[in-house]
Amino acid sequence: MVDIKTDTADMIMQKAKSAAAIFSQLSQEHTDRITKAVYEAAFNKRVRLAKLAHEETGKGKWEDKVIKNVVATQFVYEDIKNLKSVGIVSDDKERGITEIAQPIGPIFALIPVTNPTSTVMFKILIAMKTRNPIIIGPHPSALKCSTEAARISYEAALKEDAPDDCIQWLSQVSMDETHALMAHKDLALVLATGGAGLVHAAYSSGTPAIGVGPGNVPVFIENSADIPFAVEQIIISKTFDNGTVCASEQAVIVERSIADKVLDHFRQQKAYILSGDEVKKLEKTAFNSEKGLMNAEIVGKSARVIADMAALGAPDDVKLLIAPLKHVGKESPLSSEILAPILAFYVVGNFDEAVKRCIDLNFYGGTGHTVSIFSNDEEKIKEFAFIMNAGRILVNTPSSQGAVGGIYNKLEPSFTLGCGSGGKNITTDNITAKHLLNIQRIARRRPNIRLEHFDQSLYFDESLDAEAIEEKFNRDY
Amino acid sequence: MVKFNVEENIADEKALVCTFQERMDTVNSQKISDEVVKKVQETKLPVIFNLEDVDYVASAFLGLCLRVVKEVGTKNLSITNAQPNVKKVFMMAGFNREINIQ
Repeated sequence: MVDIKTDTADMIMQKAKSAAAIFSQLSQEHTDRITKAVYEAAFNKRVRLAKLAHEETGKGKWEDKVIKNVVATQFVYEDIKNLKSVGIVSDDKERGITEIAQPIGPIFALIPVTNPTSTVMFKILIAMKTRNPIIIGPHPSALKCSTEAARISYEAALKEDAPDDCIQWLSQVSMDETHALMAHKDLALVLATGGAGLVHAAYSSGTPAIGVGPGNVPVFIENSADIPFAVEQIIISKTFDNGTVCASEQAVIVERSIADKVLDHFRQQKAYILSGDEVKKLEKTAFNSEKGLMNAEIVGKSARVIADMAALGAPDDVKLLIAPLKHVGKESPLSSEILAPILAFYVVGNFDEAVKRCIDLNFYGGTGHTVSIFSNDEEKIKEFAFIMNAGRILVNTPSSQGAVGGIYNKLEPSFTLGCGSGGKNITTDNITAKHLLNIQRIARRRPNIRLEHFDQSLYFDESLDAEAIEEKFNRDY
Repeated sequence: MVKFNVEENIADEKALVCTFQERMDTVNSQKISDEVVKKVQETKLPVIFNLEDVDYVASAFLGLCLRVVKEVGTKNLSITNAQPNVKKVFMMAGFNREINIQ
């Protein structure tokens, strides 16, 4: 019996292998020309692609998707353009180590519905910079805009004599084909940005994978924070693209002594504080209790639309919905990750209780991802950071824009945020071009001088312990 | 850019030897593709690609190899004298499973 899905995967991978082979010959200069051409072509279509993504998915705001496209192209390009990604990348004469960058091979890039054009352009740019062919696997609900972003990039690459098929994309999406590609013997890496199920499938495929764990970002407004500034920044972040960034704040934690002031500022900035009954209504609308996940229908919708869906008494110009909660866990569904302009709000007695509440949130589905603190007390910031399990601890920064890097801090601009072992990832880094290289090391002879002068027969004398051996090993050194 | 000779191969059979003399980038590969295929069709002999002077091959050159394979079959195309980096290209592309590359 002919396995159509496998055959399709084989054809795609044969093309990708050939592209990888041709790529292996390219010089740094040629590689950089291709990368620059792709950057410019993608950047020049930033507005059209943003509008296309918004029209197709119905999620977020096209204006904010333009900014995402800018970060994914201009900021990423600025960050990687001077990276040595071909040939010798370092040469340490003293240690005798020369490092050579080699491409890793064909990459399968899974694209989320929430960032369907920016993630495509970001992944293509870092793949081109590292001479790796890439296959774009769009989300079914964002097929047109993701494939259009890939097509624009590919045409630009070909104009600079890039290998044929260096960028491919799936024009139809099926789980069978996705799984066949992920498990294909010739695939080098799955670059998985998406829901937990898809990322788990990538890790289970047998192919090396870099994935992203789920987020559930607590933001602690510590007592020393500049409250109006903190509230303004959180609103900027949580309303950005209607909350679709996985690093967006999910819950605000404050001490009782400043809680009223914080809420007043939220109200002044057009946030709506829900009553107890309204929290229950919103839970039913925003959360799918059968799946135990946020309801996909409210992802990326505005606070106004969600307020109507849940029949809340919010004013017409509402920007953000705030749900005061007491608990973290299944009994409080809004304490989990919800990619929409909805924030949980917790009031606690003191600093320690605040940190403990942040741990609860951090461990309720978001370990390894991102946490945020507004504070002007360096000791408190460090204390908070040491306890949290997060790849990024953002300080006085809107977390949506802060976590992706390049705008509010010097983190590497990225649309794939590593979550370390907490998120079942291999790294907490913001993933970028350097993660798509095999670094080969020429190791020249540099004998260990101490070993040369050491009487190695002493290793066989069991009466000598570590301290005694070390004393002799390091003598006169 | 490409020279044709009929010589004897390892099996003492007559073979069409195509000796490529320049960098086989996209433009050059496309220029000579039809000429090579036509010659292969005319001679109807096993084919040897001599790549002694070729230090780069583009996707279009791999495409030419596939066109020739369609004409003569995988067993009747050999690649000889490939420089190491060019041999690596054929190996990475998986062509070594089908055709003889030296």
